[in-house]
Amino acid sequence: MTMVRIQGLHKSFGTLHVLRGVDLDVNRGDVLCIIGPSGSGKSTLLRCTNLLIYPDKGDIFLEGVKVTSREVRPEWVRQQIGMVFQQFNLFTHLTALRNVMLGLVRVKRMDSAAARSKAEFELERVGLADKKDAYPAQLSGGQQQRVAIARALAMDPKVMLFDEPTSALDPEYIHEVLDVMKRLAEEGMTMMVVTHEMGFAKEVADSIIFFDQGQIVERGSPEEIFDRPGHERTKAFVSKILR
Amino acid sequence: MVQRRWLRSLKAWVPRWRISVTGRADFQRNATRFVLRVLAGLGITALGFGLVIWLGTLRYYNLGYAESILPGLGQGFLVTIRLVAVVIPLGFALGFLFGWARTTRSLILRGLGAAYVEVFRGLPPIVLIFFSYLITTLAILNISKNPFIAGDVALWMGAIALSLHSGAYQTEIIRAGILSVPTGQIEAADSVGLSRWQTMFRVTLPQAFRVSLPPLGNEFASVIKDTSLLNIIGWLDLAQIGLLQVPAALKADFNLVFIIWIEIAMLYFVLTFVVTKAVRFVENAYKVPGLEAAEL
Repeated sequence: MTMVRIQGLHKSFGTLHVLRGVDLDVNRGDVLCIIGPSGSGKSTLLRCTNLLIYPDKGDIFLEGVKVTSREVRPEWVRQQIGMVFQQFNLFTHLTALRNVMLGLVRVKRMDSAAARSKAEFELERVGLADKKDAYPAQLSGGQQQRVAIARALAMDPKVMLFDEPTSALDPEYIHEVLDVMKRLAEEGMTMMVVTHEMGFAKEVADSIIFFDQGQIVERGSPEEIFDRPGHERTKAFVSKILR
Repeated sequence: MVQRRWLRSLKAWVPRWRISVTGRADFQRNATRFVLRVLAGLGITALGFGLVIWLGTLRYYNLGYAESILPGLGQGFLVTIRLVAVVIPLGFALGFLFGWARTTRSLILRGLGAAYVEVFRGLPPIVLIFFSYLITTLAILNISKNPFIAGDVALWMGAIALSLHSGAYQTEIIRAGILSVPTGQIEAADSVGLSRWQTMFRVTLPQAFRVSLPPLGNEFASVIKDTSLLNIIGWLDLAQIGLLQVPAALKADFNLVFIIWIEIAMLYFVLTFVVTKAVRFVENAYKVPGLEAAEL
């Protein structure tokens, strides 16, 4: 069953044509990794998926609902799609617990006791129950990113988007974030992951997209993309990145 | 760390309460610090007064004269406090509204904010005060023919003109505060599903106001002293009462003029000191790791 369907997506920033007709299906429970050179439009694709950026042309469906239609409130869409950013983007003025609670109280309208216990549960899940009263500035990069994941998970999203979640991390913290993501994948979460972690992509992804110049160049299983890429550009990129 | 007993007993009198999502729980410590700071400042001022009085008893100047003008200056001081109590909140409200307007997407609101800032920052406050005074006086005289009403209203219009001037500066302070919040914060709020208003009130403003507080304190200190311009339209404030004493003092003894101005200076200092420390108190109360202004 298709969770996310993207059809004929175009997006330009001024004269820069970033997305040039993207068609994409992601099935429920699948992990899709998106790889490709920087500036190829991978982040823009993710940001269009949860309508942080409105596409110029094309449609996006979430469980068959056309979310790019005018009748759909973008807040409603974003609430069902969790997003994790490269720079974590935790709310600086709130503790870890309050970061997770904010959406529960304000968007889901939970009362604060229920929101608190839900938030504590989510922090527990990413292994940060003891850091709930810490402010973002008091946490390491890896811890911040795990809080960010907990914040997204707390909203019970149907899909999780990861925009280079480990690129801003010191090497020693990368694995703790990847571990959380792996566990999430095992639990059956539908995930779209823009990443440069080829090890993670190989191990966890159900399929991989090579993205370049605003288009999907090639889509295949990890073996297909890494071991026998069908396209010259894929071959060049993979050989560079796996070296 | 061992705390002094007097510090602890002082703390017992300071209320403890929690600030909601925006704040931190250690209000008590901050409140104590605020009280201590103000006490310290006032203590130093009192020492200054003591020194001055001591010099008077040594006949370095005329202590009797210094005492005789104090009640009058006290009256003026109360008027100045009344002006400050109007000008600071009003200026802040204006600064907040227009500062917000200048960061919205609406071209009309942004234009309005920009025009407000350019006009009221670009004119000297003394000109604004005169203008508002003359215009209201004329307008009211045309309607009611009652010069007493006209005079009263026009006096307050002068205070409003000063608020508008201060508000223009505060607009820019608030705008800078709002713009200082990284776009990533707003993206994160969007991605959780917060509406635009929720994002504004729960994410942007709580961070913006923390950044804005130190320059706001600066502006408050500045506008307190600017209230002394309002005596040109007839406010009998601290500076004006002092000025009224000068001719007589000059006739009697030139040195008396110094006494007048030293007393005025001290009273203005006390007022500014208390207000800036109050801002500092708010700053500390809402201080959060990663967002703090540099501790002085």
